[in-house]
Amino acid sequence: MAKTAPEDIVVTDFAVREHRSLWGDAWRRLISSNTARLGMFIVIVFISSATLSHYFWKYEPKKDLDYSLKLKAPSLRPTEEIDSIHIFGTDKLGRDIFRRVVHGGWNSLRVGIVAVSISLIAGGAIGLLAGFYETITMTTMERLLLFGLTGLLLGLLSAWIADQYFQLILFFGLGITSGYLPELFAGKIQRMSFFGAAGFLVAAIPSFFVGLNIALICGIWGLFVGVLLSQDLDGKFFSNVMMRIMDMILSFPGYLLAIAIVAFLGPGLGKGMIAIGIVGIPVYARLARSAVMGMINKEYILAAQSVGEGHGRILVRHIIPNILSPIIVQTTMGLANAILSAAALGFLGLGAIPPEPEWGAMLGDSYRYLTSGAWWAVLFPGLAIMLSVLGFNLLGDGLRDALDPKLRM
Amino acid sequence: MKPLLEINNLETRFYTQDGVVKAVNGVSYAIEAGEILGVVGESGCGKSVHALSMMQLIPDPPGKITGGEVWLDGKDLLKLDENQMQKIRGGEIAMIFQDPMTSLNPVYTIGFQITEALLLHNDMTKKEAWDRAGRLLELVGIPGAEERLHDYPHQFSGGMRQRAMIAMGLSCEPKLLIADEPTTALDVTIQAQIIDLVIKLQDELGMAIMWITHDLGVVAELAQTINVMYAGLIIERGKIHNIYKETKHPYTMGLLGSLPRLDDLPGTELISIPGLPPDLLHLPEGCPFAARCVYRVDQCLTQRPGLEEVDGKDHAVACWRWDEIAGNG
Repeated sequence: MAKTAPEDIVVTDFAVREHRSLWGDAWRRLISSNTARLGMFIVIVFISSATLSHYFWKYEPKKDLDYSLKLKAPSLRPTEEIDSIHIFGTDKLGRDIFRRVVHGGWNSLRVGIVAVSISLIAGGAIGLLAGFYETITMTTMERLLLFGLTGLLLGLLSAWIADQYFQLILFFGLGITSGYLPELFAGKIQRMSFFGAAGFLVAAIPSFFVGLNIALICGIWGLFVGVLLSQDLDGKFFSNVMMRIMDMILSFPGYLLAIAIVAFLGPGLGKGMIAIGIVGIPVYARLARSAVMGMINKEYILAAQSVGEGHGRILVRHIIPNILSPIIVQTTMGLANAILSAAALGFLGLGAIPPEPEWGAMLGDSYRYLTSGAWWAVLFPGLAIMLSVLGFNLLGDGLRDALDPKLRM
Repeated sequence: MKPLLEINNLETRFYTQDGVVKAVNGVSYAIEAGEILGVVGESGCGKSVHALSMMQLIPDPPGKITGGEVWLDGKDLLKLDENQMQKIRGGEIAMIFQDPMTSLNPVYTIGFQITEALLLHNDMTKKEAWDRAGRLLELVGIPGAEERLHDYPHQFSGGMRQRAMIAMGLSCEPKLLIADEPTTALDVTIQAQIIDLVIKLQDELGMAIMWITHDLGVVAELAQTINVMYAGLIIERGKIHNIYKETKHPYTMGLLGSLPRLDDLPGTELISIPGLPPDLLHLPEGCPFAARCVYRVDQCLTQRPGLEEVDGKDHAVACWRWDEIAGNG
């Protein structure tokens, strides 16, 4: 009988396999899905056409005007009446729709990126800190900074009403003072009255130079902020305050709030971006907070604390990378949403200012000509909106599947 | 000689919606340098919470350390602020946790996580830290350590992850290693390996170890001193042979009695202590074990016994009737 000598057996260590990083794995899963590939393709076409056209195919909307070419149907070759080619046709001012759609992409991209960045940075930071300090005790320094900033944020309303932005510093100081003196009349009504009065004075005195009514309104708000800051300043309280503010923003229908903000700030693409960005903040704040809270009780956070890592380090090194995947998905979807919102604002005439090519504004300009048969003036910008939103949504869906930790072992 | 770490009257409370949970109720003891201390007791008796309190890692809120002192090197740890505490954690006292599956961060390599602790507490370059991490991983018995540093936690088995955790705990050569049920989530063979590993490491490195477990068999193998905890109190403390051979407290007797024995006949019913541990929300005034104790007298219900030395043999017990019961166990 043939015997196998031990040295003949090839030992393969199956536990050791090729090193794959987390993101490498996710990427592999992403490109293996057809819908995600389609989404990615659309997004890449959209981004590259917008960017390339902006830099290499200059367009000056203010000079683009030719009444002789008004509302011409799409044509693929020059005819005897028109010697230029307009594959998407022309609009009511004789402008080439193809060119405007491509350049409109640049504006949509800008809106998307800026608006989502605003929501992501503000919302993400709020959610992250709120979730983190709900479980982890803050150090004195952190408490001072956090509640100083809370005071500053709340003081923004008063400062804005009175148009005195130096009030922000006073409110910042109020937050710091309360954070620095947690023992001052602790738990007593005096504390509330003291900080309430301080808040009132901080807001009312400077506002008095603007007007009596303003002083009264700001004073009442200051009183409220002061009373709020006189409470037990711990993580739970911070989280509560921030989440209630987020709830307030969420309680308005998104578009309505965006329209209201634009109405305050005035129309224009830049202001539209800010408005859309603000409306998106609560989504990211809630997402980040819930993700952090799901993560913070994991033993490796405790393990990180037990080897002596500081709070900032734990937050940046251990928590952020672990909550990144839902945030990435939300950001991708958020881009689609921001593009759609920008188009809606543009359609209502609150977004881009007219000669500027913007998809929503183009729709708003041209839908009146639909009855006279100029379908192309509406179809192509509409299609551009639809495709770009679809692309980002498909990509977001694909990313969600690719980054889902449940699929990972 | 001064002990390495001295705990006096440590008290930890959790302020919950239902009331105040009295998790640790005045624990006092000392650990000598190089000693292996076993802390045993059933779940919820405050073993882990008292260790986390020492490290100030109790989630606050709802938890709060309401009293006591923890002396290490002439410093009261409970009076240090977060920044000073961060230097102690990992540097002087390290901790390893129950579940190796969740105590490593899934998004970083093992090497990254070990070097992180090294870089925090030592003045060394990344390269040096990485080399040292490799040696540590080798020390805890992971073959091909240098290579495995680049692996992610999911590429390790449970036993290997616990070894990696131990390597992380040892990385800065702490004076005290707190092991919070490190073998509970592992199967018996791996358990035995980890215990052997810890004994070996303790021989080589000479740090003190606090081994928290509910498994009396495990501590019998490695501890020199044992604290038996019940309802947030130490109810018996002594050298290992005192606890196992001259058991004084009825609860410890019950615990030892409930261990299944190899020479039991098949079909022998397992013995258990009747009743449940007291509700920590409403801790009885007297001895917390009184309700379940067969030796109970009236005094047990009204007065709480303190830890009392048993004829000067490094053995202390909190029971009013220890000298009467002794020997009956």
